[in-house]
Amino acid sequence: MRKRLLTWAVLSFSTFVIASSSAAEPIRFGRDVLPILSDRCFKCHGPDETHREADLRLDLNESATATRDGRAAIVARKPDVSELLKRVTAKDADLRMPPVDSNRKQLTPREIQILRQWISEGAKWGRHWAFEAPRKLDLPDKNTHPVDFFIQRRLKREGLDFAAEAPKHTLIRRVSLDLTGLPPTLEEVEPFLADKSPDAYTKLIDRRLKSKQYGERMAMWWLDAARYSDTDGYQGDRTRTNWPWRDWVVSAFNRNMSFDQFTVEQFAGDLLPNATKEQILATCFHRNHMTNGEGGRDPEESRIDYVIDRVNTTGTVFLGMTLGCAQCHSHKFDPISQEDYYSLFAFFDSIDEDGRAGGGAKPYLKYKSPHVKPIVDQAQKVVDERRRTLDKQRREAKPEFDKQWYPQQRRRALDDFQAWTQLKATRLASVEGTVLSQDSEGIVRANGPNPRQDDYRFIVKLDKWPRITGLSLEVFPHESHTDGKLSRGANGEFILTDVKLQVRRGGGSQLEDIEINGALADVERKVSGRNYGKIRDTLDDDPRNGWTTETHDAKKPHHAVFALAEPLQLTADDELNFVLMHRSTIGDANIGRFRLSMTDQGGKAVRSLNKMPLERLAVMLQEKGKDANDAKLEAELFEQFLADHGAYQRAKQEADRANAQLSEVKGLLNRELNVMVLSERKKRRQTHLLERGVWNKKGKPVARSVPAAVLSRDAAETKTRLDLARWLVDAKNPLTARVIVNHLWQLCFGAGLVRTPEDFGLQGELPTHPDLLDWLAVELVEHDWDLQHILRLIVSSRTYRQSSSLPTELIERDPDNRLLARGSRYRLASWIIRDAALHSAGLLNPTLGGPPTRPYQPDGVWQEMFMGRFRYQPSQGLIQFRRTLYTFWRRSAAPTFLFDSAQRRVCEVRPRRTNTPLHALTLLNDLSLLEASREIARRVLAAETDNRKRTDLAFRHILSRSPSEAEAGVIQRELDRCLSHYKQNANEAKQFLQFGQPEKRSTKQPIELASFTIVVSLFFNLDEAISHE
Amino acid sequence: MSNSSSQAEMARRYFLGQCTGIGLCAVALSLLESGNRVLAESNTQAMGLADLPHHQPRAKSVIYLTQSGGPSQIELFDHKPGLPKWAGKELPPSVRQGQRLTTMTANQKQLIMPARTRFQQHGDSGATIGEWLPHHAEVADELCFIKSMVTDQINHAPAMTKMLTGHQIPGRPSIGAWSSYGLGSENRNLPDYLVLISKMKRPSDQPLYDHYWGSGFLPSRYQGVKLRNSKDPVLYLRDPDGLPRHLRRGMLSGINELNQRRFQQTGDPEIETRIQQYEMAWRMQTSIPELTDLSDEPESTFELYGPDSRRPGSYAANCILARRLVERGVRFVQLFHPDWDHHSRLSSWCVARCRDTDQASAALVKDLKQRGLLDETLVLWGGEFGRGVAGQGKWNSPEGGRDHHPRCFTMWAAGGGVKSGITHGATDEFSYNAVVNPVHVRDLHATVMRLLGIDHERFTYRFQGLDFKLTGVEESRVVTDILA
Repeated sequence: MRKRLLTWAVLSFSTFVIASSSAAEPIRFGRDVLPILSDRCFKCHGPDETHREADLRLDLNESATATRDGRAAIVARKPDVSELLKRVTAKDADLRMPPVDSNRKQLTPREIQILRQWISEGAKWGRHWAFEAPRKLDLPDKNTHPVDFFIQRRLKREGLDFAAEAPKHTLIRRVSLDLTGLPPTLEEVEPFLADKSPDAYTKLIDRRLKSKQYGERMAMWWLDAARYSDTDGYQGDRTRTNWPWRDWVVSAFNRNMSFDQFTVEQFAGDLLPNATKEQILATCFHRNHMTNGEGGRDPEESRIDYVIDRVNTTGTVFLGMTLGCAQCHSHKFDPISQEDYYSLFAFFDSIDEDGRAGGGAKPYLKYKSPHVKPIVDQAQKVVDERRRTLDKQRREAKPEFDKQWYPQQRRRALDDFQAWTQLKATRLASVEGTVLSQDSEGIVRANGPNPRQDDYRFIVKLDKWPRITGLSLEVFPHESHTDGKLSRGANGEFILTDVKLQVRRGGGSQLEDIEINGALADVERKVSGRNYGKIRDTLDDDPRNGWTTETHDAKKPHHAVFALAEPLQLTADDELNFVLMHRSTIGDANIGRFRLSMTDQGGKAVRSLNKMPLERLAVMLQEKGKDANDAKLEAELFEQFLADHGAYQRAKQEADRANAQLSEVKGLLNRELNVMVLSERKKRRQTHLLERGVWNKKGKPVARSVPAAVLSRDAAETKTRLDLARWLVDAKNPLTARVIVNHLWQLCFGAGLVRTPEDFGLQGELPTHPDLLDWLAVELVEHDWDLQHILRLIVSSRTYRQSSSLPTELIERDPDNRLLARGSRYRLASWIIRDAALHSAGLLNPTLGGPPTRPYQPDGVWQEMFMGRFRYQPSQGLIQFRRTLYTFWRRSAAPTFLFDSAQRRVCEVRPRRTNTPLHALTLLNDLSLLEASREIARRVLAAETDNRKRTDLAFRHILSRSPSEAEAGVIQRELDRCLSHYKQNANEAKQFLQFGQPEKRSTKQPIELASFTIVVSLFFNLDEAISHE
Repeated sequence: MSNSSSQAEMARRYFLGQCTGIGLCAVALSLLESGNRVLAESNTQAMGLADLPHHQPRAKSVIYLTQSGGPSQIELFDHKPGLPKWAGKELPPSVRQGQRLTTMTANQKQLIMPARTRFQQHGDSGATIGEWLPHHAEVADELCFIKSMVTDQINHAPAMTKMLTGHQIPGRPSIGAWSSYGLGSENRNLPDYLVLISKMKRPSDQPLYDHYWGSGFLPSRYQGVKLRNSKDPVLYLRDPDGLPRHLRRGMLSGINELNQRRFQQTGDPEIETRIQQYEMAWRMQTSIPELTDLSDEPESTFELYGPDSRRPGSYAANCILARRLVERGVRFVQLFHPDWDHHSRLSSWCVARCRDTDQASAALVKDLKQRGLLDETLVLWGGEFGRGVAGQGKWNSPEGGRDHHPRCFTMWAAGGGVKSGITHGATDEFSYNAVVNPVHVRDLHATVMRLLGIDHERFTYRFQGLDFKLTGVEESRVVTDILA
């Protein structure tokens, strides 16, 4: 027996828990019968006419009860003559429904019993529950909490009751995380624990709902649903500047904008009378889909995709309907025809867009964001700080230069300094057969066959290696070459397409690529675009470009210098490989003679073709005597010295990053950003039904209208997107309010009252507490769509406040917590884990809104995906510590530190929650968590002197409680292990602490700081720290 | 049942339900089990679906050598000796039959450009292979060429998405994720599905999106795990410098002990699972670097796979890794080699990509064969579509290239229950339409599933109320002619 079988056992068990409650009640069509018919019968006997068998429909009363050939599928009160019952119970496999080849499961005895009872009771027809208007049952009295009333009523039926209330420290943590996405700070926990007044908890809820972080938390929910991203997706994946819409969402939630207005503005803000800029901005909601800018793609095909995406998003997010099914054919289960689908499609079909992506994705709103300025100020602050550090490093390096380096170089200059050392090959090889040999002058010549293309490999091994910073390649003419020029090829010219530098270490089998990041040549052919000319193009591994000196004098030697990205240090066992590739399109242009040399001079020396500073120093000393001096040359040599100075270079890199960040955000200051929004074309497009959903297979024309099965409307009232939006939030719409309160419930309990928030249709799950869902839905509408009102109702309930511990019998009876006889316990979303860590450490930057931020992620992720086209530079200084909401979201490479996150390709409304070793690795090694750990370590080291008090304080920062004695024992043991290791290995402690923002690094107490950092990181990895308890 | 043992029992059940690892569940399971009779069998079997395989599998593993960008079948495999006499002439409309073109060439005349290569027949099977793939010629008798591949997508991302997930719009599980979901893995220390991307310097125009190996609506544990060529072969695998292994071990023990206490207090079985996942994370920190370090391979391996195989991250080195993964029982290994999108200068650009891949692809087949692994390993080679017979740019200039072409392209398969030394299907005299035995992408998927022991019709996953399958809603058929 294997996994999936067992899962089934657990699942059907829990279904039983739910179903058993209804055993004593009469059968209800929507709840009991329809799900069976839908799941087993509708595929062939449902709304989809293209797959209908035997012309029988079981989704309509008239058809199901109609007599055909003397028989009827359903005969009220007569189960035994009802063909339906006969066929699902038939012994003969050929007659039995559903047929084997339909891949639908046979009916269980219990399901057959339900059908039998229903027919016996009169086969009363009804509608699917979600299409009926929600009813608000009366509560026994006005002091009854509606949530608790419905939950407890059900618990009582099960012979259960509420669990005890969660401890106060858990409660403040839970409600803070749910309403703001942040845990309480230590300074907030203690007063709350001390506040014994009866309304302490209510006041806490109010504070949370009023805080600015509330809007940010809710926005994360909405951004996932809205598939918000900072790039287009697809090929190109160009950056867009739609983030002012994200700030609009935060602000809307913080203003507690009513949900109907929130909906109307996002669907049709542009169509409102005297629409404000903000109202137009809101419509970006329907432009957050991916856009495809791939070369060669038909923009109309893309445009159709976008319209489809809008319909499907509307279906999933507002209606809880899988409308997408009806794109190709009428829905197989729900009463949505293909025509209904394209009638909705028609509302979005006349946007003034043409399917383009990148910079051409009109219509745009020109919008100046007020949220740029604070970020520019912060970026400026980082620049200023780092500039000071850089200056300091420079000053500190000077004495070393004056006392050691410079005098040393002067001695070297006097001692017959050679800028370049010729290399003598240990081995020469070619791929296609050219015979290479090296003469006493170090010149390598090509002999023998002259293939069209060839790669030369120059292999060298030395007993003693200097440091290598650059290579020089000289190319020589020779009389034996064509016309005495540079090659044996057709016209005597050469084309070097690419070069590679590789190292084979210690006689091993592997070749390591060494990065060359600079290339200069004395002459090159002037070219534009991708062509043969530039020396720089020998570094890109593309055979369609490269270096040639054609058009210059081919009877003279030419030379090129390659600069290594980092100085290379080799040992006696190592072998250097330099590869010259001649792979041009026409070919027949392989170099005839060349020489290779190396140098150890860094900085400008290998990034210019001029004489190196040290060469010039040597000349000067020879000419003017050994005490001569030249301030300018000395200054140049100081720069060369700094180019190799570790501490200075690090500070410089950090300053450069800060500068780059500043210029990036400054570029946005007072700029009119292009935000993709909706606006209607002057001339409306005629919408057609698309056959099989194919973009250019136009079927019959359709007009704008809304699906009647949900809530019918006259054509006169469904003319515009504004009408559509108003229909969605019409008090009579049976779906929207239910779907939205279900989302809110999910935000607080981890799962909705309907566990398939995206599907309230026939194939979705039934609500666990239908009356509660209805009550809240009606309440939402009656309270002017006030989301905070519903949230307050939910979190103030006794249901919500229960302890989340699982008594053994409940694990057995209700493993998924559908009955809510306890609080919910589940792993927090990964974005909340990051925010919570930064917040507990006091690192979180509270700035609202503005341009996207780039939190830490491992090097190279973007480069790998885009083969180097995009590079990820983490944000610097304070800006690094902004909330995850503001993270730059590249659609094709979602932030690596977020696991189980929505993909932001299409809308998503159900959280993923898996538990894998990759998540463990992320939490152990992600820099954000490590930096938060170090920050807490630093704070507790400063605040307390006793180690026990220190770990205790750190623990409370993260978990809002003190460790127990037993826990403290484990913590002490791990702290001691770290302390004793780092005491013996103080350098490792220093090495370990070298990460994160330079402003946050500390050189004080490295042994203690490293040890406490590890222990705090341990706390952050505890299940309790990453769980909603 | 005592309280604690019933908690453990529930933890185990829960684990089975929520599970969790990236194909490493079996390890956790065996740890959780420790002697439990009911599930003792699970210890010896891969974690897959209970009703799979549907029939005796022919292939245990798949290595999919994905050539991203659309290699030209006209230069590489699909020899059309009659083309030179059509050189520079317009493609007859009877052949084109209104085929849609990309907007790159839609407004230009479709002038025929004959193959830029010479062809020879190779092996006993007499397979025709272009001269840019000399090493392929050596294994011609091991390969099964499908010359009549057909897709319905003409742009890269939709076509690759179709090729790898069965649907052109992102959101469905990839074929590797389906395999992992259905069959699990035989290895307890590695993910079921691994992805390796060639490291190249040239910025490619076709990004490799992670939805190509995504799990779509399947649980995320089934998604492909990318093995990167860097200090961190799997993201976040490496501990920070200055944090020695024994301190990490101590820290993990501390986490696990405190979590164990929390489990006793709260009874939440998810905590037990988490403890196991942290242990697996610890083991992966050892098993993955061991896997990716090729220094224990003998010199002969590198000679077989060619000089580029010494360069970590190269396609050739990834081919060696693919063999090592299959040796370790990994279910699905997918390589990506980008930059086959040769709209211009075929004779330098395409040659470059052939040189990157030719020797190593052939070596992989040879190597698997000599190790006795080829019979149970299905190797697939191919791109997302083919290239058109008309020249893009000037047909008679060296600058000429070819535009995308969905109506026919060539893929090859080897091992894993596929006939060797055959050619299946054929195109017309222009390599424009697949005219004999066309094989649609979905037919290929059905065939791969068959070889893995799965009936694609019965292999479904319910999502948003629908039963999805890899091969989608349209009729697809297993290509029985190529089954050995």
